[in-house]
Amino acid sequence: MKRSLGAWPLLLFTALAFGAPAVVMVTGAFDRGTETLALTMQGGYLLALLNSVKLSAVVAVLGAVLGTVLAQAIVTSPWKPLREGVLTASGVLANFGGVPLAFFWVATLGNSGLVSGLLGLPSGALYSFWGLALVYLYFSVPLMVLVIAPALDGLKPQWREAALNNGATAWHYWRYVGLPVLAPGLLGGVVLLFGSAFAAYATAAAMGAGTVLPLITLKIAAALSGDVQTGFENVGLALSLDMVLVAALVMAVYLPLQRRSTKWLQ
Amino acid sequence: MAARLEFRALRRTFGKTVALDGFDLTVEPGELVALLGPSGCGKTTALRCVAGFERPDSGAVLLDGKDITGVPANKRDAGMVFQAYSLFPNLSALDNVAFGLRVRKVAAAVRRAKAQELLELVGLATHADRFPHQLSGGQQQRVALARALALEPRVLLLDEPLSALDAKVRVGLREEIRRLQLDLGITTIFVTHDQEEALSVADRVAVLRDGRLEQCGAPAEVYDRPATPFVAEFVGTMNHLPGRVSGDRVTVLGQLLPLDGTAPGAEVDVLVRPEAVQVSPAEDGRAEIVAASFRGASVRLRVALEGGEVLADVPGHEAVRLAPGTRVSVRLVERPVLVSARRAETPVPVSPAEDPASVV
Amino acid sequence: MVAVATTAEPIAARGEMPRLWRGVVLALAGLYFLVPLGAAFWFTAYNRVTGFSLAPYAELWSAEGFWSSLLLSLGLAAATIALVLLLMLPAMITVRLAAPRLRPVLEIICTLPLVIPPIAFVAGYSRSVALAQDLVAPTPFWATLTAMRSTTFPAVLVFAYVILVLPFVYRSLDAGLRTMDLRTMVEAARNLGASWPHVMFRVIIPNLRSALASAAFLSLALVLGEYTMASIMGYRPFAVWIVSISGSKGQLSVAVSVLSLLLTWLLLLLVSRGTNRGRQA
Repeated sequence: MKRSLGAWPLLLFTALAFGAPAVVMVTGAFDRGTETLALTMQGGYLLALLNSVKLSAVVAVLGAVLGTVLAQAIVTSPWKPLREGVLTASGVLANFGGVPLAFFWVATLGNSGLVSGLLGLPSGALYSFWGLALVYLYFSVPLMVLVIAPALDGLKPQWREAALNNGATAWHYWRYVGLPVLAPGLLGGVVLLFGSAFAAYATAAAMGAGTVLPLITLKIAAALSGDVQTGFENVGLALSLDMVLVAALVMAVYLPLQRRSTKWLQ
Repeated sequence: MAARLEFRALRRTFGKTVALDGFDLTVEPGELVALLGPSGCGKTTALRCVAGFERPDSGAVLLDGKDITGVPANKRDAGMVFQAYSLFPNLSALDNVAFGLRVRKVAAAVRRAKAQELLELVGLATHADRFPHQLSGGQQQRVALARALALEPRVLLLDEPLSALDAKVRVGLREEIRRLQLDLGITTIFVTHDQEEALSVADRVAVLRDGRLEQCGAPAEVYDRPATPFVAEFVGTMNHLPGRVSGDRVTVLGQLLPLDGTAPGAEVDVLVRPEAVQVSPAEDGRAEIVAASFRGASVRLRVALEGGEVLADVPGHEAVRLAPGTRVSVRLVERPVLVSARRAETPVPVSPAEDPASVV
Repeated sequence: MVAVATTAEPIAARGEMPRLWRGVVLALAGLYFLVPLGAAFWFTAYNRVTGFSLAPYAELWSAEGFWSSLLLSLGLAAATIALVLLLMLPAMITVRLAAPRLRPVLEIICTLPLVIPPIAFVAGYSRSVALAQDLVAPTPFWATLTAMRSTTFPAVLVFAYVILVLPFVYRSLDAGLRTMDLRTMVEAARNLGASWPHVMFRVIIPNLRSALASAAFLSLALVLGEYTMASIMGYRPFAVWIVSISGSKGQLSVAVSVLSLLLTWLLLLLVSRGTNRGRQA
């Protein structure tokens, strides 16, 4: 007990700061039994949830692939300032993205955007599923770069050399050694990207995409500001619970993968 | 299968650092040559030129007379064992060894059998299904060795394979490597900075310094007849005793000994190995033991005499008679001695030490 | 091994990409990431009425709410960083040295914020705070809680932000602790007679400088850009202010966004540069 003393402040803090909202969320969601939850699984709410899951999945996979390719290009570049610059920029975009992101894309591909005018895009192109996906990649790809760059660094040059020494081409190396070793990190990255896209609220809100493409985060915000059916004041909490369950499922896949990844790279 | 390897005037610079500066060496078929030298002497760079991981700025590497300098690394016929991180972490020992065969699309059953055979050769038949993180350092290197041999290469390259291992494992494994190499008769280059290692396993030892070859010869020759002062100091320990040349002999410590080679002047430093210094207790002796360092089989004595100190190795069982403070007489073994130019050095004061500090 | 790696780049070193590939990838990435930035800048600098002018950039310094919201965000960030490091450092060191069995617990705690979307978290959190306010109404804590919810400095936001930054701080510190042989260092220091605070401040922290810096700046970036929780709970730090003026003063809000993004990037670059230099020293 005494040995773990240093950890207790953190544990107590999270128990309180996390635990209380969790308890409140669960009790609030079930205050009318399962009725509130049932409501979240119908109509507009269900559509919003499915949209969010679809969007996040697409962005996660695309972002993971593109992010890994970009990360590899940076990690192997002999020009150090490039690596530093891109990694810090990724840090900014991955976390700071939110609001500025939305504005940038509205200015680019929005209805009166610079590029949309040049390309002759139809009005509202940005506020579609793929438009939003394009915008979401702006913070997803950098996030993947951040996640996978250390794993790419962890690929020891000796492995590559040993593979070559045994007659392998670049393809052989990646197929039999490189990608398998990276696999846990890659999958972990996909999961992380999913979680991040799924939870995204600020970007969609700042873009005002809610009316065109219903997303669950926007529905929750609406519910919290009072835009609910009478008697179902806690639908915001129920929707939140739905989100947490989806995210928890995805996390159950992430952690064992993360553990595998660190084991091999050490 | 045994191939001749030749390094011809290899030159390689990295920015301002000159790694190889005109390196020449021929390795005969079936020979084990150790590349020995301090860090940065270019030995690893030379090895990597054979493997294809380095391309020299000028010069060539020839395998059986054919210039392979431009051949891509994955098309070379040289199996390499790295110092660390040799094995692929996601593959079992067996799959690691079978990797090259898999790349060559050898049938699964065949390559597994071959890999198993090789693992038996290195004594790890029962560990075939273990993963690298489940193997000890020595075991990993053995698997790496098996893997390097899987494609039956014409040359075996070992890049300080034992440097990362414990002392005891190191000694055992180097003997195994040598045994294996002799059985297979494969031309081998063994890079190391440990001169004991080099001397014990190699057919010939090539001493490198600043990218050039200082001397290449059988271990005994490099040890007994170092061609340059650097080799003399680097391989083993050397005593420097003041001597005076007269004709083809040199007077040192009151003895007249034949000269080995030519003298660069009248006043010289005589190079004598500690084991060639004989120490015996003598009440009227002119020398005194300052310190003794017990090494198990032998004892290294630091003996003070007029003009400086000398290191002497005596058998362990004589240590009792030769404790610090004992007055002794010192004699050199009667054999030709090497000389080098006198070093301008103030002699160490002749005084008994207070504590039996160990001698380096 | 390390010395060799820095001076010699072997032909077939890390997963090597032929230069062409790399150039194409970087060019496409550059296009994707820089065009929107450029378009946004163009949006701020050009409109049909005034033509090309950088007026919005001059205007923003005196804009109503700019300084108050920015300072609020910076203050929140500072408080968050201080609190999170105070909680995390002892915890991570303890787990590494004395209680390795708590490691999975720590990992779960620090990945949970990534699982829980901020919007879901704020739903529960804001309700909890409101409930807590009702609960402590008869007690002297009521005043404390009200003070913590004040719009001038909402301490309740700080606590929430600490939760949000946990994953980043954990990963940064974990990476830093992994590269240093903590156990050996601490044992050596204790062996020489150092007290725990001494060990902490003179041994561990100096070696964690780059990890601490990266943790601090990731937290700073997050807090500066945080919109969800602040807006739902009714506060107006920087990001919320930017959105609030986007309707009426479009060019201004985009201008601020561009600036803040670039400045944060410069800041992180300086930190990264500074820590790299420290490593070489």
